[in-house]
Amino acid sequence: MELKICHLYGDVLNLYGDRGNIITMKKRLEWRGIDCTVEKINPAQSASIAGFDLIFIGGGMEFDTRLIADDLRADRAAELKAAVEDGVSLLAICSGYQLLGSYCQDDKGVKTPMAGLVDMYTVCGSERMTGNYKFALGEKSGGFEVVGFENHQGKTWLASGLEPLGKVICGHGNNGEDGGEGLRYKNLFGTYSYGPILPKNAKLCDYILLTALERKYGLRELQALDDTAENEAFTAINARLG
Amino acid sequence: MKLKVVLAIIVCKALRLVSRLLHRGGTAMPGRYALKICPQLLSVLAKNVKTVVITGTNGKTTCSRMVEEAFARDGKRFFSNRSGANLISGITTEFVINSTLNGKNRCDYAVIECDEAASVRVFAQMQPSVIVVTNLFRDQLDRFGDLAHTRDSIKTAIKSVPTATLCLNADCSLTSSLADEVPNKVLYFGMNKGAAPSKGKSEISDGGICVRCGHEYRYEYINFGHLGGFYCPECGHSRPEADFAVVDIAQQSTEGSSIVMDMQGERRMVSVNLPAMYNIYNAAAACAAVCAAGMSKDTAVQALSGFKCGFGRMEQFDIGAGARMMLVKNPTGCNLVMEFLGNVKERFSLVISLNDRTGDGKDISWIWDTDFEQLAALSGRIKNLIVSGDRAEEMRLRLKYAGFDENALVIERDCEKLVDRMAEEDCPVFIMPTYSAMLDIRQAIVKRCGGSDFWE
Repeated sequence: MELKICHLYGDVLNLYGDRGNIITMKKRLEWRGIDCTVEKINPAQSASIAGFDLIFIGGGMEFDTRLIADDLRADRAAELKAAVEDGVSLLAICSGYQLLGSYCQDDKGVKTPMAGLVDMYTVCGSERMTGNYKFALGEKSGGFEVVGFENHQGKTWLASGLEPLGKVICGHGNNGEDGGEGLRYKNLFGTYSYGPILPKNAKLCDYILLTALERKYGLRELQALDDTAENEAFTAINARLG
Repeated sequence: MKLKVVLAIIVCKALRLVSRLLHRGGTAMPGRYALKICPQLLSVLAKNVKTVVITGTNGKTTCSRMVEEAFARDGKRFFSNRSGANLISGITTEFVINSTLNGKNRCDYAVIECDEAASVRVFAQMQPSVIVVTNLFRDQLDRFGDLAHTRDSIKTAIKSVPTATLCLNADCSLTSSLADEVPNKVLYFGMNKGAAPSKGKSEISDGGICVRCGHEYRYEYINFGHLGGFYCPECGHSRPEADFAVVDIAQQSTEGSSIVMDMQGERRMVSVNLPAMYNIYNAAAACAAVCAAGMSKDTAVQALSGFKCGFGRMEQFDIGAGARMMLVKNPTGCNLVMEFLGNVKERFSLVISLNDRTGDGKDISWIWDTDFEQLAALSGRIKNLIVSGDRAEEMRLRLKYAGFDENALVIERDCEKLVDRMAEEDCPVFIMPTYSAMLDIRQAIVKRCGGSDFWE
């Protein structure tokens, strides 16, 4: 078995620890004897995303994100939308997650159009939402708890009918108001938990990997690993959050 | 106004005295209260002091120590914020302590390390004569916001001091371009092509995109991170020529380096009293600053071989078979420390301590951008690896994914027990702590073996 992972815009959207997600997915596949290749596609590169089993989009600086939004609208959005509709797994984090919506509005009220993959939008709030936080995944996404670190000023609003990835237990999530965190649509996982969300949330990592393996090979279950170190890292920060 | 100044000074001096009587540092707190009484206090106190201010992501403290050494050798009356309190509060405290109740400074010069985010307020009030920006890399994102934001802060700060001479890192696109559109006199420092073997492009690059047009830079050579001979194929923006250029690294050991530096056209052999590549950059920055402050090239060269290393920066302790502490706080700095470990010939033990308090950055995701894989490649030479700090479990997890055997990684959170273990080691111990972890471990070592308190 083999999973082909696309790290979309990896040279530009790699702000703070996104690399940890790639390392974790790769290692957890390899430890189970499943091959894994990771390929970066950068802005203005004509390479197609067809043929990838899992697409990862990380966070970026505001300046970079605008460059990406241009590229994404130019030719990538339709391709990406088709992939998501077709059930390809996609994990998008922080500004990578914001990119999937219809627009982002900055602190001066200027709207920048985004990829328009899903019906959601982001508006710059008055305060930064920063800190360790915790949310419970919806039943559809496994139902377990996830701890992460959020650092965003944008408030994201999902259109009615779209389901958040989970419910905030402590922290802010999508907008600090409606209790939702992230987005789950088909096999698209969007979250504000920026940087290395997957290492200490090994269950979530496996859950996402399984969506791709199920689509490709019909696999229903992953071989268990010794997750002592992962679970202790989760427990340590979870205990602090109370 | 005058009354407020005097009152603020009295309060500040009194709070400092009380702090010291209570055996505390009192480095930032007195200044914070003084500024509440008189918000413009620093501008009053800094009026007749010629100040060299050092900011940037990595190397602030070491570069400051190098510049201080030059001032000392030149017989200048100067002071500095050696305690590491580098926000406006700590800097103000330092100025108050060195001035009379009238607000007149007893020194003619100051060497001040300044936090990047604090630069806007500090520069405007202090009106420094020389501004050094060492480099810009991703750092505590939760505190600074992203790197573009940090760079904008420094740019705004520079604009408030058109008379200052800028000493900028030629090899860092984000730093050297700070000279764009300002009237300041500029001295560039850097490392020329061929001085060190060029590295490949690192997986994570912070300055890879042209600051002027947004296209990707190409590199003639890379020294580390995004530092090197950058040029933009689109708009032509490229690395400026360095006035203080390292042209050859003749020798590098675990004690220090011998380099050849072109100093404004004069070639000098320079010995740097600290090991590792990043300290060669700090040396070049310090040379530029010393000359910009009006001292001679000879003074600069002598200072580099004679200065003592800063607090937690390659600091040595006489414990067990010898310990060396190397502060780590962001991916690039940490990668360079591990590169240094790669050049250590003998077997050693290692302590990595990760905290996530305010001084460290509450966000620890940077450890995943850091190339601990290069440490795993050395694991045959590492006798014991102990993980410590508030986020020890996350650190252990990172090392597991870097390729270490998780069962071989010991967690020891208690600093005194940690020091006990260091004392028992029969091989050198290297300690890689984040900022607040450094303070804790250092205190435990000082308690056991003696040494100076952090504010000395």
